Amino acid sequence: MTAMNIQVQSSAAMGSLSGEAYRQAARSWLVANLPERFRSDSAAFVSPTLDESIAWEAALHRAGLAGITWPTVYGGHGRTLREHLIANQEIGALAMPESANSIGKELAGPIILAIGTEAQKLRFLPCILDMTNVWCQGFSEPEAGSDLAGLRTRAVRDGDVWRINGQKIWTSGAYRAQRCLLLARTGPLEDRHRGLALFAVPLNAPGVRVRTIKSIDGKDNFCEVFFDNVEVSQDDALGAPDEGWAAAIRVLAIERATNRMYRAWRFENELRHLIAACKTDPALESLLRERHYASRLAETLVDIDVLKGHVETAVDALVAGESIGSRGSLAKLHWSEAHQRFAALAMELLAKASLPLTPAVRVARRRFENVYLGSRAETIYAGTTEIQLGIIADRILELAKGK
Amino acid sequence: MTTIDDGLSPADFAATAARAVAACKDLSVAEQGALLAGDGLLGVIAAEDAGGLDLPLSFAVPVVAAASAGLLAFPLMEHLLLARALQRHHLPLAKAIVAGERMGSIAWAGAVTAKQQGDRIVLNGWVARAPCVSDVGLMLVRVGESGAALVPTVDVRVDESGGLDLAQPESSIELNGVGIAASSVLPEGTWSALEADALVLRAAAILGSAETCLALAQEHVSTRRQFGHALSWNQSIRHTLARHKLGLEGIRQAIARALFSEAGLRERRAAFVAASTYGVAISEGAVQMHGGMGFTWDVPVHRHVRRIRTLQAQGDASGVLAALGHDYIASVAPAAA
Repeated sequence: MTAMNIQVQSSAAMGSLSGEAYRQAARSWLVANLPERFRSDSAAFVSPTLDESIAWEAALHRAGLAGITWPTVYGGHGRTLREHLIANQEIGALAMPESANSIGKELAGPIILAIGTEAQKLRFLPCILDMTNVWCQGFSEPEAGSDLAGLRTRAVRDGDVWRINGQKIWTSGAYRAQRCLLLARTGPLEDRHRGLALFAVPLNAPGVRVRTIKSIDGKDNFCEVFFDNVEVSQDDALGAPDEGWAAAIRVLAIERATNRMYRAWRFENELRHLIAACKTDPALESLLRERHYASRLAETLVDIDVLKGHVETAVDALVAGESIGSRGSLAKLHWSEAHQRFAALAMELLAKASLPLTPAVRVARRRFENVYLGSRAETIYAGTTEIQLGIIADRILELAKGK
Repeated sequence: MTTIDDGLSPADFAATAARAVAACKDLSVAEQGALLAGDGLLGVIAAEDAGGLDLPLSFAVPVVAAASAGLLAFPLMEHLLLARALQRHHLPLAKAIVAGERMGSIAWAGAVTAKQQGDRIVLNGWVARAPCVSDVGLMLVRVGESGAALVPTVDVRVDESGGLDLAQPESSIELNGVGIAASSVLPEGTWSALEADALVLRAAAILGSAETCLALAQEHVSTRRQFGHALSWNQSIRHTLARHKLGLEGIRQAIARALFSEAGLRERRAAFVAASTYGVAISEGAVQMHGGMGFTWDVPVHRHVRRIRTLQAQGDASGVLAALGHDYIASVAPAAA
């Protein structure tokens, strides 16, 4: 079966199931429908093309496994956050490709749900879930990386429209996106966090130019995006100019704690894959019996359990209607560093394989080279480690900074 | 968070425990036992027949954490576990422990052999890491792999007492032909069940001490001034404390996972390992944050360092880590050819 001809029953293959039955249904659907060649722990693995990813993710949505908590009127499935967690645990347990539209589903969508007009919700959200609109994130700039308040891209009101001028960088996936969630300045630079506004900019608008940048993993996913007098209608402005950013920050705090909720279960899938592959090689199997490597792998397991705890308690808090404040920074800091530690350990172990490589070790090496290189970005994007430490010191510990 | 039908939650016990622990200061072990029993804290997880509250282990977590935060000089974890371990076969003794009338300890390291001689069981061997054993009348020792036996402390020779933890000194004990009644030998499996619960409660104790250390360090760096600023102005100090906070929350998350109804030995081991790893970093980091003051007797941080290091060794953290790894590796099948 190819991704292009994935056929599933129309919306809500999970029907009215809940709890354990919902988990079983999600698991069964994923196992039956995830193409073998999309699984990075398979010898048949080939990285899916954009069209294949779009078809696969649209199928996931039709099956009820994307847009899980979004209201049905906007194309979602209207389920609970706990069911979202259950589905993500099952998604994480398989070596599934990352979403080609995670910015749409986990950043733009929740922000639009929080601050968009009703018309914007009806126009943008269903297109994110059915994958007809892939989004990218236009926040960072050459002179404003971690310090977003220093960004210079300007949005100027011109009658009924806005005119955008400036440049964004590190914009993952812009080359394939239809929309950019753009943060631009409507006031003077001195206003810092005030006078920032969010826009849903169509990337086919005249004046938009995208240039790819090759990244550490050899991929051309990173982009620079140039905006040269780009006209954006008021219908594409998200929230009021001075309110949009503050609202977005509140959403981002929640998203930092809940996005890619499958992560801990995916890390465990990687850990199990590493061990399973090592067991096919006599030299590596012997190393697994050593206390040294058993202990180091156990450290990964402890990291995974701690991450699961962060996710589950965030879900508990949100379900109870509590604010999770800056708690997402704790989870982000933990998982990004834990994954780097694990990826480095995987590379170290696999480098000790006997020759010729067993087929399973060959598959694992291919996967973990990508995991290792990809993990180097994880302490940089979505707020660097240093930014997260600052947030924890400032907002959780409330340590004094002044004289 | 666990709650029971009448709406009680584990957090409800934290404040009561903290008050009781504070009131225990300068009391003898026996007096502390009576006081803690009076507040219902020795029978939190023991059956109602034994005079306990019959609550899940999660309710003992804040109690043990508060005890460690207050550097309680009483083997509370051991009493909680003993009362529950004895309630089935030694109900009167379990009742006496819950009521604070009998005191006991557990020798966490070492094991003895047991041989039947007539109607008596004779124990031989060395055990160690029994907190406060000189102040209590009973001691539980491991027999073989997973058995356990109750021994009157009057019949044993305490070889050495001391160790890092000043409030709860640990002892090594020789059992040289100690005869006990056959009924004092507890069923096979008692020890492994006890150890599994102790993994979580030790993690809770470390959490209590680590939380106190972080609070002390936070207070110190916010008030101590150097170079014209509070120490907390310095980014390296801010980031170090942020990492300690991350570690503290990591302990909390790992304990929470170990208390889920589906949780097993894996989650319990993970909780103890996380607590040991982060607890040591947080407490020793707190000494560093206090500078020279941290190295003095006057600042209480060193007492928490002592307690955390003692709990780490008592639970054999490195051994638990290796066992966690070996068991997990064994659970994974080789990749298909």
